[in-house]
Amino acid sequence: MKLTTKFTLWYFGIMMVVLLIGGAIVYYEIQWKISRVEVVRHERLNDIIAGQIRQGGDFTGHPTRKRATIAVIPADSVPKGIQTFYTRGRGWNPEFQASEFRLVVTSFYVIGGLHYRITTYSFIPSFYQLLPGVVDSFKWIFLVLLIVVVISGGLISKYNLAPFKRTMRVIQSFDLKQKEPIHLPVTRTEEFQELNVFLKKMTDKAQEEYRSLKEFTENASHELQTPTAIIRGKLDLLMESDIRDEQAILIAEMQNALDRLSRIHSSLTLLTKLENQEYTANVSVSISRLAKETITAFEELIQMKELSLLTDIEEKVNIPLHASLADLLLQNLVSNAIRHNIPPAGGKGEIRFTVRREGLIIANTGKEPSIPTVELFERFKKGNPGSDSIGIGLAIVRQICDLSNFTIEYKYLSGFHVLAIGFLEKCPASKLLQNLSVPLHLTLRP
Amino acid sequence: MKVLIIEDNQELARNIHDFLAREGYICESCETIEEAKEKLSLFQYDCILLDIGLPDGNGISLLNLIRADFKESNVLIISAKNALDDKIIGLEKGADDYITKPFHLAELHARIRAVYRRKNLGGANIVEFNEITLNTDTFEAKVGEALLDTTPKEFDLLLYFIVNKNRVLSRQAIAAHLWGDYTDNLANFDFVYQHVKNLRRKISSAGGTDYISTVYGLGYKFNSHKQAE
Repeated sequence: MKLTTKFTLWYFGIMMVVLLIGGAIVYYEIQWKISRVEVVRHERLNDIIAGQIRQGGDFTGHPTRKRATIAVIPADSVPKGIQTFYTRGRGWNPEFQASEFRLVVTSFYVIGGLHYRITTYSFIPSFYQLLPGVVDSFKWIFLVLLIVVVISGGLISKYNLAPFKRTMRVIQSFDLKQKEPIHLPVTRTEEFQELNVFLKKMTDKAQEEYRSLKEFTENASHELQTPTAIIRGKLDLLMESDIRDEQAILIAEMQNALDRLSRIHSSLTLLTKLENQEYTANVSVSISRLAKETITAFEELIQMKELSLLTDIEEKVNIPLHASLADLLLQNLVSNAIRHNIPPAGGKGEIRFTVRREGLIIANTGKEPSIPTVELFERFKKGNPGSDSIGIGLAIVRQICDLSNFTIEYKYLSGFHVLAIGFLEKCPASKLLQNLSVPLHLTLRP
Repeated sequence: MKVLIIEDNQELARNIHDFLAREGYICESCETIEEAKEKLSLFQYDCILLDIGLPDGNGISLLNLIRADFKESNVLIISAKNALDDKIIGLEKGADDYITKPFHLAELHARIRAVYRRKNLGGANIVEFNEITLNTDTFEAKVGEALLDTTPKEFDLLLYFIVNKNRVLSRQAIAAHLWGDYTDNLANFDFVYQHVKNLRRKISSAGGTDYISTVYGLGYKFNSHKQAE
């Protein structure tokens, strides 16, 4: 629910309560005021009548006597301390032939030693007759307020929340990799000022950390690669000098170790760069074309290992991925499938490779893994500890998938290592494996 | 061939110098952009090896100058940063190739030759050695008049051998040349062995001399002095 809507609803609630109380106040106020005015008028009328009595003479039929009752009462029935009182209640109105609300004002006078009681009355609007009027007017007030609150609520919050919305936009488009610090809109609202200060501090800090991490990675890369290059060069030169066989073996072992070192190093640097999200895809890449190219590049190796290759590559499948990463992904997958391919007893090694709009599946024959397949995604985890690989290929594959929001699933099914990558959110890798439209992998279901 | 090595690390520069000097190249080294500018203004070079990270600035800036004033020279970028940005910017600014540290010297040499061939031989990209002829445009390899039925990798391997003839080529160097970086699995030397074996067989059966020999423990060597038996 939007903040504006929430505020508006709260205002409605408050308005309802206030209007109800206000309505009651207005209702009783009007009632009281009408009575008051009538009472004052009648008191004056009673005074006039008393004056006429004092003056003497016959005032029968005079307009003042129309609704007046004059009585001489004994002194002891005069209430003490009161000169006037009034009562309200229903009474018969002969003029309208109806029972109506009547206000009776009684005053006491002492004229010429006699105690007079003068009573006059009039019919006033009943309070029940007033009520609909009050309710009606409050209905209108409520309606007007409603419209005003809705419109002004929208406008005011739009105006007041504008800096907040601008801040949100800035934060949404914030990229850790951007070189310049963020620019937040100026605002006079204290809370937003606080928010902006906080956000500014946080993003600046994040950018700084990111920069220093990146710098470290680059430095590490640079500073380590150069000595490695020197050693490798020296070994290359040493190899050509006049050396004995034992020395040759030593050099070869050094070359091997150096090779591993540089591979581990470059793979770790790459992983760090992936984690830092340095490769973002701006354009999509044709995975169909790349898959075919990768297969071609590895064809000779596949033949050399006498593997049979089955491919089913859908045309024109484009995915949002940096071209270099897509290349890396496929290279790792295909080379893994070749490298770790162990033909079943008495059979031929096989690779099955499917590319679909929803994802890709690559399967190769192999022994049942000794550790859970999920763990193979971890760095330096190897299915076979004795192998030459450094065990980082799958970690790179997973990192690329994570980066691109692809799902990945690794299963061992009927003698095959099956790795599925789902490109679409609605079709995760696990679902892909059950998809009947992947004919190459039909027989691999458990 | 005259080569200018712009590299701030003296040891690395000496490695390159020693290796290339044996090929009969004339190599000069310098360590900073300023020195490089001076050298470039005095002499003409066929090939410039340019390190990106130099003490007085980024090697890329020098690339602009080289491309403006010394169009004939080939430029090969040497960088420790395997950052894609550098690679793309470098090639866009007119570098001819890009090599990442740590590289094998034989690889560097092969790249220098490849760039040189592309640029200086006017399209007739023929590499010859005795009876072996390689056409780097059509990827055709011939022994005498007989066409060799080589796979792309075998062709690549043969070219690598001929360019680095009389050098000991380690299996690592060959693997790196054929399959590039990030080949976690291709430290697998069986493939190298297989490729070399097939290549030797093909040359021999086409009547060529088997120049390639195994170097104990290390790798292989293309022996140019070997005579046909």
